[in-house]
Amino acid sequence: MENISDSQLLSLLIPVIVAELVLMVTALVVLVRAERTRGPKYMWALIILLGNLLGSIAFFIFGRRSD
Amino acid sequence: MRTWLVLFRKEWLELLRSYRLIWLPISFLVLGVSQPITAYFLPDILASSGGLPEDVVRSIPLPNASEVMAGSLQQFGTIGLLLLALSSMGAVSNERASGTAAMILVKPVSYLSFITAKWASILAISWLSFAAGYVASWYYTVTLFGSVGGPSVIAGLLYFGLWLSFVGTLALLFSSLLSSPAAAAFGSLALAALLQVAASSLPFEQPWNPGRLSQLAAGGLDAALSDGGSAWLTVAVTATAIAAALYLAARSLQGHSRS
Repeated sequence: MENISDSQLLSLLIPVIVAELVLMVTALVVLVRAERTRGPKYMWALIILLGNLLGSIAFFIFGRRSD
Repeated sequence: MRTWLVLFRKEWLELLRSYRLIWLPISFLVLGVSQPITAYFLPDILASSGGLPEDVVRSIPLPNASEVMAGSLQQFGTIGLLLLALSSMGAVSNERASGTAAMILVKPVSYLSFITAKWASILAISWLSFAAGYVASWYYTVTLFGSVGGPSVIAGLLYFGLWLSFVGTLALLFSSLLSSPAAAAFGSLALAALLQVAASSLPFEQPWNPGRLSQLAAGGLDAALSDGGSAWLTVAVTATAIAAALYLAARSLQGHSRS
């Protein structure tokens, strides 16, 4: 296995971070635009911001109300 | 066929509206990538967290590329499966509760095409998410650990995709049998786990067990995980089980809407 320079490592890590950010921002936009959520909105905002990937996923699965 | 396409487009729209088309592929992507990255940094993480003497840290061998790939399949098999089951748990029961199903089924639409349109959308999102995560994991593994054989990677993709399809079909079946989405998710996951445990721990050969599929996928990559059995019967039984589950789901929907 060859050694990998720092800049190469960075270029490997950045796509992951971008993907997580996209998910988080989408979750926040959906949260703000939703008329009703299951539970208070500020709680979900905290969960999404602090819970990273899992927080956003939890919001998409449990937080939204379809009606 | 045309009505089926209309139904499928409705399901596709539903995937978009519920944002599943966004969050499922991204989750699988991050899931798939995190395995090679943590495996690569594990010695550093251990060294910086302290507690272990340095020579112990140095003596932990880095896994080879195919072990890492098998590891990410394991991630998909636990967390990925959970996400898929949770996202499709209300597929039929929610529509029955909200009245959408009744509204569609008064039109000349067969129960089977209603179910298969849903099934196709579940399969589409499963394969899309899994392929995204798997290819990303492959790319990261090759960059960080070295190459993995192409045929075994593709075989892994197909076997594991079939396994995900099987569990997705189970979720759909349970969703039409049971009125509670949580029970549907739990039922399908429990049955999947049961099959998997049976396949890996019972002492006799079970070439028919769909629970072997994830093992087949990982075994192609990492020979240590292989049980050496043939795959054809497993694939055939799984396909038959999927078809039977679809038929049963349609029958159950029919029974529910008559009563």
